Amino acid sequence: MSVKQEALVLLLAGGVGSRLNILVQSRAKPAVPFAGHYRIIDFSLSNVMTSGLTKIGVLTQYKPLSLMRHLGMGEAWDFTGRSRGLKILPPHTGFKDSDWYKGTADAVRQNIDFLEKNPADEVLLLSGDHIYNMDFHAMIEYHRFKKADVTIGMMVVPMSEIYQFGAGVTDDNNRIIDWEEKPEHPKTNLASMGIYVFDYKYLLDSLYRDKAEVDFGMHILPRAIDNDNVFAYPFYGYWRDVGTIQSYWEANMDVIMRDSAISPAAWGIRTNIEADGRPADRPPARFSNSARVSCSMISAGCVIRGTVINSVLAPGVVVEEGAVVRDSILFADCTVGKKSTVDLTICDKRVKISGDTIVGSGMNHDFPNIKQPKHLYTGITLVGKEASIPSGITIGRNCIVNSKTEESAFSTGEVADGETV
Amino acid sequence: MPKSTTLAMILAGSRVDNLNVLTYYRPKSAVPFGGFARVIDFALSNLLHSGIEQVAILSQYRSYSLINHIGTGAAWDMIGRNRGVSILPPFKDNSDNKCHADWYRGSADAVYKNLDFVQYHDPEQILILSGDHIYKMDYQDMIAYHHKKDADLTIAFVQVDKSKAHRFGIAAIDSNEDGETGGRLLNYWEKPESPEADWASLTVLVFKPEVLYRALQENQESSSFEFGRDIIPLLMAQGRKVYGYKYTGYWGYTGTTEEYWQASMDLLGENPPIDMEAWGLRTNMEHRGIRDAQPALIRDGAIVHNSLVYNGCIVEGTVKNSILFPGVHVEKGAVVEDSVLFFNNHIGADCKLSRVIMDVNSVIGQGVRIGPEATSKAKVVTLIGWNNHIPDKMCIGEGAKIYPNISSEQWSKVKCVEAEEVLR
Repeated sequence: MSVKQEALVLLLAGGVGSRLNILVQSRAKPAVPFAGHYRIIDFSLSNVMTSGLTKIGVLTQYKPLSLMRHLGMGEAWDFTGRSRGLKILPPHTGFKDSDWYKGTADAVRQNIDFLEKNPADEVLLLSGDHIYNMDFHAMIEYHRFKKADVTIGMMVVPMSEIYQFGAGVTDDNNRIIDWEEKPEHPKTNLASMGIYVFDYKYLLDSLYRDKAEVDFGMHILPRAIDNDNVFAYPFYGYWRDVGTIQSYWEANMDVIMRDSAISPAAWGIRTNIEADGRPADRPPARFSNSARVSCSMISAGCVIRGTVINSVLAPGVVVEEGAVVRDSILFADCTVGKKSTVDLTICDKRVKISGDTIVGSGMNHDFPNIKQPKHLYTGITLVGKEASIPSGITIGRNCIVNSKTEESAFSTGEVADGETV
Repeated sequence: MPKSTTLAMILAGSRVDNLNVLTYYRPKSAVPFGGFARVIDFALSNLLHSGIEQVAILSQYRSYSLINHIGTGAAWDMIGRNRGVSILPPFKDNSDNKCHADWYRGSADAVYKNLDFVQYHDPEQILILSGDHIYKMDYQDMIAYHHKKDADLTIAFVQVDKSKAHRFGIAAIDSNEDGETGGRLLNYWEKPESPEADWASLTVLVFKPEVLYRALQENQESSSFEFGRDIIPLLMAQGRKVYGYKYTGYWGYTGTTEEYWQASMDLLGENPPIDMEAWGLRTNMEHRGIRDAQPALIRDGAIVHNSLVYNGCIVEGTVKNSILFPGVHVEKGAVVEDSVLFFNNHIGADCKLSRVIMDVNSVIGQGVRIGPEATSKAKVVTLIGWNNHIPDKMCIGEGAKIYPNISSEQWSKVKCVEAEEVLR
């Protein structure tokens, strides 16, 4: 006997997020660290938990290891128990035509067994790519009230940004009467947040109807809007698609702002604290007599002997005496040597910066990265996982230091603006 | 089949009058320490790193906090087919055996009452520990010495100042035998008035099981049931092979408020005597939900010097030489110095706290002053019990003790708490 769930959750966590550049070199976008010890997917998972939903399938595809380790059995989000559960659904062989997911609808279709084994009234479809706080229970209630076949979470965004989203035109009743997927010349500024409530049977029927329909935004939704009841569920809170380096950096800075609209603590966001291979738990952050810290987020296990301003430090970051970290985001276990400066920089895990080095130097914030001008053009410099930067180096704006770069790779003392090492 | 050879039993039942405000609702072993952990975590982490996987905890006094803290034991890897932690509370049964008709009458009685549990595990040696001490020790080294000497009982000792020796179990150790490692116990005095030696017991004892069983049985005829006061002297009197194992590392004894404060201060500085990371200290991150606390926010204008600050804190004021547990909020203009603030305390704007140990969940109004004036020479620690709402502008003198849960009515009648005053 199985216990029927109110709503089954499917979380699409396969996103590549390629504009996040080297941050997604070894992990999927949902697994990118955020705000100290969190990861992006924690926001979706915690929203599911605080909405009282208890059964969730997570669809992975791109570089899933980091994500799977993070999810574990779902204990961190209270998904363990007799009638609860978090199940990881990787792509699998056995389908005649293809094994890898061809689109969002194809991904769900390939896991139709999971849907059928877990009957529910509704299916909530989410992505793990966004920073937001939302009550899905209220959305499901709205869906029922409207007697909808599909309800789409939507919010107003600036006209200039609508080209990145699915856009819907609604009538006075919030019923969606027209749909454009990533329109170049939009008719509306109401954007889809990639959050859908489907009637369970309606979803199954849609998936069975035509295997050529591989994407929700491109195929399933336009057809549903033309023929059935699709409603917009308006959302007014904080929601960010942290899909670019600039938006990712801004959302992190939002966390440390006073009276900010985003608060992991107030939202009840939970994470799975990494403990792999650590004999000890991370002790409290240690501030020495020479520490100067202002407007910053400091995680457990950090050791601060230098200056930290307007920055977000993940667990285990060490900032030595005389060093200055400003407007930067440092992932777990980075070290910044004596008298070094890190300015407007994102460092992935375990980056080692020796003493007397400058990362993020000069005023050429507008000089984009030469290789990836669409990724880095606002002045942010990126340092990849486990890179080592020797002392006496000056690195400019919009630079990329690739993962695992060794000290010997810095032949000259300078990395000019827009260069890649 | 792999089998644990050592059974560890942690004595975690006691409360200490000298820590009275902090142990009002919890045993001493569950007192918070180190900005996120509890005192008992040191013993549990030592067991983990010593590879001792069968652990029992004897608890009696206000055990809820402790039971909550131990949880499943997963924090210390103590769950598995051959690993486990069991909490052994006192119990009664229907037999005529008057032994089972009472609370634990002492540490030795607590173990005696659970002998069926001990014998079921059939260990090769039994390690008895106190859950109240702060130290880092590999028990396997001590057990190896115990075997090398084929001892009946081996006890760990640490050298202390003779002026303090009267508070401990003190031994004279034959230094000719193994020098720095240890030696046969020549003499043992429990809390001697005028100590003749300076090796103090850490309350870490390794017993040969049959020796322990017999000693506990014989001890039942007595009217006192303590390892230090009764069992060790009994074995000494019987001429058993009792050995001392010399421990030379850091030992934090938190028997009094001042000692607790000093041990906390030993967490600070550039090379702190207590290095929790290097010691491999683990705690139960589920307890009080500390794993879910967001990283600390240090606001514009804040000053944090020589301090430990855990996730969940918000600092807008000044914090110096202090330890902040999760959920402490220090508002603008407030100054916290030489203090230890437990979980979820809110320090109002323009407060001045000096040498304060504050238990959990208090709200301190604006402009409150707690602790010694700058001119004070004694600089005695002030204790604030949990769940207090201290009104704005209140003044609390040094060495005062504020009991938990003082009602707002009572606070409204207080103008000022004098130095050394006890508010209950």
